Parts: sequence; structure tokens; C-alpha cells
Amino acid sequence: MKSYLRQRLIQFIPIILGVSLLSFFVMHLAPGDPTALFSDPNVNPIELARIRANWGLDKPIVVQYFYWLGNVVRGDFGTSYTTGQPVLQEILARLPATLMLMIPAYILTLLITIPLGVICAVKKESWFDNLVTFFSFAGMATPSFWLGLVLMLVFAVQLHWLPAVGMYESGITGASLFVRGFDFIRHLILPLSTMVLLSLAGITRYQRAAMLEVLGQDFIRTARAKGLPERQVIFKHALKNALIPIVTLIGLSLPDLFGGAFIIETIFAWPGMGRLGVMAIFQRNYPLIMGIVIFSAVLIMLGNLLADMAYAWVDPRIRYAKK
Amino acid sequence: MIKQAIAVFLLLLCLTGCAAPGKLTAKAIKLPDPAQADPNGSLILALGGEISVINPVLSTDTSSSAVEGVIFNGLTTINESLEVIPELASSWTVSPDGKIWTFKLRPGVKWHDGQLFTAADVVFTYDTILNPKVNSVRRSDYIIDGEEIKFRALDKLTVQAILPKPFAPFLTRTMMGIIPKHLLEGKDINTASFNRAPVGTGPFKFKEWVTGDHVSVVRNDNYYKGRPMLAQIIMKIIPDENSTLVALEAGEVDETGVPPKDYQRLKAKAGINVFEYDALTYTYLAFNLANPKFQDKRVRQALAYATDKEQLVKLIFKGLASPAYAPSAPISWAYSDAVEKYSYDPVKARQLLAEAGVKNLSFTILTNQGNKEREKAAVVLQQQFKKVGVKVDIRVMEWSALLKIVNSPQAPKDFDAVLMGWALGLDPDAYSIWHSSQYPTGFNFIDYKNPAVDRLLARGRTTLDQAQRKKIYAQLWQVIAADQPYIFLWYPKSVVAIRERVGGLSRPGPAGLMLNIEKLFVTK
Repeated sequence: MKSYLRQRLIQFIPIILGVSLLSFFVMHLAPGDPTALFSDPNVNPIELARIRANWGLDKPIVVQYFYWLGNVVRGDFGTSYTTGQPVLQEILARLPATLMLMIPAYILTLLITIPLGVICAVKKESWFDNLVTFFSFAGMATPSFWLGLVLMLVFAVQLHWLPAVGMYESGITGASLFVRGFDFIRHLILPLSTMVLLSLAGITRYQRAAMLEVLGQDFIRTARAKGLPERQVIFKHALKNALIPIVTLIGLSLPDLFGGAFIIETIFAWPGMGRLGVMAIFQRNYPLIMGIVIFSAVLIMLGNLLADMAYAWVDPRIRYAKK
Repeated sequence: MIKQAIAVFLLLLCLTGCAAPGKLTAKAIKLPDPAQADPNGSLILALGGEISVINPVLSTDTSSSAVEGVIFNGLTTINESLEVIPELASSWTVSPDGKIWTFKLRPGVKWHDGQLFTAADVVFTYDTILNPKVNSVRRSDYIIDGEEIKFRALDKLTVQAILPKPFAPFLTRTMMGIIPKHLLEGKDINTASFNRAPVGTGPFKFKEWVTGDHVSVVRNDNYYKGRPMLAQIIMKIIPDENSTLVALEAGEVDETGVPPKDYQRLKAKAGINVFEYDALTYTYLAFNLANPKFQDKRVRQALAYATDKEQLVKLIFKGLASPAYAPSAPISWAYSDAVEKYSYDPVKARQLLAEAGVKNLSFTILTNQGNKEREKAAVVLQQQFKKVGVKVDIRVMEWSALLKIVNSPQAPKDFDAVLMGWALGLDPDAYSIWHSSQYPTGFNFIDYKNPAVDRLLARGRTTLDQAQRKKIYAQLWQVIAADQPYIFLWYPKSVVAIRERVGGLSRPGPAGLMLNIEKLFVTK
């Protein structure tokens, strides 16, 4: 197991190099440059050229890449063009807000979808299954910005139960931890509900399909034939096997936790990573884009590694032996 | 079963749909009485974009400028009538040759950290902007025909600016916020930590900046114009326009801009005042004159006659804009509408096209993504031009990609026509847009050349007398309108909704409603 881990971690290096090389050049293929945002009839284009040169953008792109790589090896991801702050600091500043929204959303989604999928599979084509199917598809078809705004209109404008935007009440920074915590939860409810309602569909459908497949297999019939209670058949024998495809799905979506959700963050004015990333692209903020790309690449690889290791736990047939 | 589910879904839909009131009636503006002002009140403003740096020398975005506006002061500022008035400078004089400007500074003004503000800070600010290593786009504001303006301190409270030649727009450039020398000298200003925790001389002191969420500022008790009435201003970043409106209606923010579609609804809503005023901008359709299709003036004039601006404004803005005829704005002191207006006349348009020997004209209009009004206008123009036998294709492009074409340093540039807008400065000088030297690098991206225009532009910016300048610009607009290098489309109105609890507002105008920040208040 240890050598397997080491091997996987060593593989990270060429992959990251490849990712950085590819994204660096693709990023520069996009038309425009970071000074485009300053375009204004009172700004002389000569000034824009001067600023581009200050950023080293007048050098050949290959030189720029190696310059960037050299700094990264020394742990310096550069500074954001718009704020002048270190890229790493910009990313880390957004991380807590992202995680505080994404982790509860993720856990809640799993807590709801897995049992829901199981029940639907067990009670296939019952009224309950049909209802869930209907809402799953409705959820898939609903745009998140629409649902977000509707929830805001109902719960913030009409009923005044919950706040519409932001993470905290304005000016609450001086209050006690308890008050701030309660206030945070009130702010979390709407974006969290939007995220969970819309992502219910996917995993529920997967879990239902996986479960149906397992339930049709011989060892389930055997289990039932030897007289095991239905509860034990489903939860002990079927569920563990039906979780395997879900583990893959979870592993693959792990990076989303850090990537944030751009539309939800925009609608609810949540200061997360999604907004940072999309803005960086619109601004052609090259150091920030590269920082986010590398950050996500590492997370995706770690996510995959975790998923692969979780397989071994769910499915004893898989073992990572020494070569 | 499915029926039940549909019923539930319809109920949900109705819950939201029912929120819309049946009939809308506009109500009068209701302003609160200053006697009811809350001495501990917080004003909550919404910013549409992220804040980048809180430093007037560096920032280029409107969110950062909004924050800077309450923390920093310039030598001068503007009033409701868009006139330049004293701020940190109490008075100024200009030498008879128009080259030496001497500013007397207000004594006893203190930085938020208690240090005294002096002439050294002013000189430091302008020297910083002019330093090529500093990533400030404002540098070109202080360079006239390649020569820098020199700033020097005569004594602690006197600053002199020495211009290489007379330059009328100079005074509007003294509104730049002044930054403290004692905190920034010898530091790399591009990355200084000051930019995240600034110190100014303005009515409010910086308190905190939570990245991506908000900035808050608190009252400066020692403000030279007097103690501000508000205890605090919180500026919340809300990127989505619709969410900002919802936040206003939910009472979470006090002010927001209003898109035309929501104008009538908000106007009828209790607890909210809606103000509308002219903006200092215009939208246009520009023709690439380096492109053979548009070199004949008659073709451009024909297209101008084929443009029904009244219809355009009515369809898109529901009255919240007015047709434009010249490259200035009606609220500018230099505005004149004594220009050829090309009132809608499709017959004349066809006639001019025939005269020019143009058959089956077809071209592409480029415009930028994300501006719904421009995207709609392109479609309306497509229909209007079709009526005179001109075929138009529309390409909506991402902003950077569009600018890449328009600002390309190579001539000729690769486009037919673009639908864009200019935000005008306070000074009418339009040298960078129309002067023939500003092509291909510069903002005369259409390759417009007219010696008469070049002469008028040069005279306009070197003449200091406003009455004389007014005449020069009236003439300039006339010549440009006759050439129709652009079809001037509309002047938009700004619409702002402010909750009724906010008082102390200034007269609505392009400078906004919060010019006298220290007099703003909210009721309990």
C-alpha cells in the first residue's frame, strides 16, 4: 500500500507539469490581454503597453512560461494583476467561504440521495419512486439562478424569514461567536438549499440504478433464499455493493468542493472560489488563472487517489499489491 | 400520481408569480427629515463587482473607486452642476500663459492616522503616478503631447503644477485622490499592503475588508468639512443585478441601480425612492473607415437616415433613454444640438445608396456580450437596415476578444462596424477619440481623418476660456455629425433606487446622489 501511494504521488509531478504547460499556452491563445479592462478614452494605449511590459508580457511566451515555472518551483505563484496580492493568498482567502458552503451541501446531498436511491430501487415503480423520479428530472431541468432567485423572493422578500445575500449580516463582525454562528447559518440556508435541491437528481438516479442492478443478482437471491430478513439483505448485502459506482462519482466530484459553484455564489453574493476563477478568466489575470489551475489539478489527483483507495475498502476484491 | 406532482409544482410557481402586483402606479419621492437621523446609523451600499485595490493611483474599476470616494480626497472635486470646486486645495490661480497652476492647500487637514496633510503628499501622489514602474493607467492624464506635467511644493501648503503647454482639461485631473507620503514612500506601491488597508483624509476611515464580501468604513470625527452624520458605511459586493434588487427589496441594501425592466415596478413600491438622471455616456454604431464599404460619406449618411432612433429608444428603454445626434451628452456644458440630425427617412436612405452606386450592401456589426441593451439594439438595427436593402449580420463577442480587434495596433483593422459606447469625462476634450494621430494605436480605431476636426480638437484643449471652448466644440460636433463616422444612437438615463430611510442626498446627476457624503444619514 505504501509503495503504491509513493508511486502515485511521483506520478503527480509529470502530470502537473503537463497540465501547467497546456493551460499556460491555451490561456494565452484566448484573445485579449489583462490591460483590456482598462480601456477608456482617457488612457493612452502607450501606458497599457508599459504596464504589460512591467508584467513581463512583452517577452516571448515560452520565456514567460519558464519564468513562471522557475518561480513556482521556489513556491512563488506570482501576484494577481488586479489586486497586487500574492496568488496563493488570494486563493486561500476564498477557500473557507467555499468549503463552508460546499461541504455541508455535499454531505447533505449524500445523506439524502443515497437512502432515497435505495428506497426507490427497493420500491421500484411505486408512487414514491415515481414522485422522486419526477422531482429528480424537474431538478435537473431547473436552472440554478432561477431557483435561487425564487427562493430569495419567497423567503427574503415576501416572508422575511431569511436573508437574501451574503455570508454575514453587515456589521456583525464585533458580535459574539454564538451570534455570528447563528447568523451564518441563517445566511447559509438559501444557497445550501438551492445547491442540494438541484444536485439531488444525479446521485439519486445513480444510486437507484446501481441498487437495482445489485438486487437482480444471484447472491441476493441466495441471501433471500436462506431466509435472511429483507432489511439485512438490502443494507448488508446489496447496499455495500451498490455503493461502488457512487464512490467513483464522489471521488470525481471531490474537486468541486474547492472549485465552488459560480452561479450560486454569484446569485447569493457568496465570496467563494467559483467567482474568483471565472473573474480571473474574464480579466485574463494570468498568474491567478494558473494558480487556480494548479491548485485544482492537485485536488483532482488527490480526489482520484482517495476514490481508488476507498474502492479497496468497499470492494475487498481490489487490493493494491506490491509489484 | 403525476397529476398531484404537477399540482404541487404549479403551486410553487404560483407562489412566486403571485408576488407581482396587479397594477403599477408611480408614487412621489419621499425624503426623510434630518431631525430623525440615527447618530449610530449604517448605510449599506451594493457594489456590482469585486474590489481590487483601495488606492486611487492604481484602481481601474468602479467598485474600488466607490470605496476610494469616501476615504480619499483630491485637490478638487465636483459639485451637482459638474463644476470643479475646491477640496484639499482651498483655491488656485493660473498664470496668464495657462502653463503654471498654483494651488493653495487647506491648512490643518489630517490623515486618518493623525499626521498632518501637506504639499509633500500632493507632489508624492503625482510623482508616483508618473513613475513608469507604477502600474497606473492614469499616467497619461498628466502627460501632454509626450511631456510630463511637473509638480513641486513651494512651501508646506502651496503646490505648483507646471504644464508644458496650456491644457484645458487639466483642472478635471486634479480630482485624483491624494495618498499619504509618510506611509508609502520607498515602498513598492503595486503590491503595498496599504492597498488593502488604506489611510486617507476623507469623511470615512477604513475599518475592514472581507475579500469578496464587503468593505466597511467608519466616521472620521476630524473630517475637515465636519463630522459625518453616518456612523458607518458598508459596501457589499453583490455581483448579480437581480440579486441586488432582491436585496434592496428585502431591506439588506439601501441603494442600487435599476435596469429598465424593473423601473415601473420599483417606482410603485412602498419604502423605495426611484431617481432618474442623464448619464455622461453615449452609445454609437462606428464604421471602420479603412474598410472600402464605408469610405463614401453618402453610405454612412444613408445608414443614418435608415436608423429610426425614436423606435430604438422606445423598444429597448421604454423611455429611459433619448436619441443621440452628437458625440457629447446633453448634460455636458459643451453640448450643442445644432447638428445634422438625419431624421428617419428610408426613402432618402435608398436614394443616397443609389447615388453612391452601392448595391446589396452587407456588413457585420460586432458588439460585446453581457450588455443586453446593445445586443437588442443590434437586432433592431438589423431590421431597420433591412428595410433599405442592407443586410446585417450580428456577432456578439466577449469583451476582451472584441477589444483585441478594435484596439489592434495593425492597420487596417479587421471589422465592418461596432456597436459600443463611450463614457465621457467631465471635460469635453475628445482628442483621443477623433484626432487622426490616434490611429491605429489610440481610440480613433475607425481611422477617421478630417483636418478641420484635428484643428478644432487642438484648439479646444488649449483654450482655457469656457465660453470660447463652447463655441469650438459646437463647431466640432457639427463637422463630425456631417461626416457620420459613427451613427450616434442614444443617451441612456441612469436609474437609481434608494430606500426611503436614506436622506441628505444631493441633486440627481451624473455625479450620483451622494456627493455630500458627510451629510448623508439614515433614519432609525
